[in-house]
Amino acid sequence: MNPTLARQLPLLRGNVHAVRAQTRVAVRPNFASVRRSFSVDNDDSHDDFKTIRKKYEAKDKGSGNVKDLIAETIASKPVVVFMKGTPSAPQCGFSATVVRILQMQGLKDFKGVNVLEDDTIRNGIKEYTNWPTIPQVFVNKEFIGGCDIMRSMHESGELKTLLQESGVISATAEAK
Amino acid sequence: MPISVEQLESIIKERVPAETVIAEDESSGCGAKFSVIVVSSHFVGKPLLDRHRLVNDSLKEELKSIHALTLKTWTPEQYEKKKNETQ
Repeated sequence: MNPTLARQLPLLRGNVHAVRAQTRVAVRPNFASVRRSFSVDNDDSHDDFKTIRKKYEAKDKGSGNVKDLIAETIASKPVVVFMKGTPSAPQCGFSATVVRILQMQGLKDFKGVNVLEDDTIRNGIKEYTNWPTIPQVFVNKEFIGGCDIMRSMHESGELKTLLQESGVISATAEAK
Repeated sequence: MPISVEQLESIIKERVPAETVIAEDESSGCGAKFSVIVVSSHFVGKPLLDRHRLVNDSLKEELKSIHALTLKTWTPEQYEKKKNETQ
């Protein structure tokens, strides 16, 4: 599957709100994908539209457990955000704030994990960090905090320092 | 029974413990969304993450029924500073 499609998948298969949000901004709504989104949880949906969930389930049942999967996920990118919705269509104000803060920091590439996609991840991440709420932000595998902490660190300049020291943004990148 | 602002304040005050707790219900009384300022000398020298953990841990049971909690965790010194700023 091509990477762009993979990134858009949660939007297409997830739920109606996400698709609505997506179509609002799209110049030309893709009605084919909107139609498809209504067959969300049916097993007869197109293969492309159930890949992610199947992958998590398979891992959960196999040798790896949720903890391993989360550890693997947070190691997959320097910055990983467990959030509601996706970076391009957040489904919760707190998640949206975190995404905007990261974008304002000039961060171009980070991984957003949509916890609404998978209940095992949604509960698993809370146990993993012993942190009760979503979103949760990781930088270089280290848990940084949720929305309030991100906001506070953003305002104080600590976040910029942290991201620069972690090599995630360049020292010359200006926060807009 | 949804938790009230007063209950929330006294729970945090007692369990963190904190000198000052100012809670605000942002869900028009349905007890799902709160914004809380917690001022405690126990926060001195602790990073934000640990401060938030202190408060979150004090609300372990209550958080199950609270959907969203916005926290500001200040030391008494920071609190005085903030108060002066807004005056």
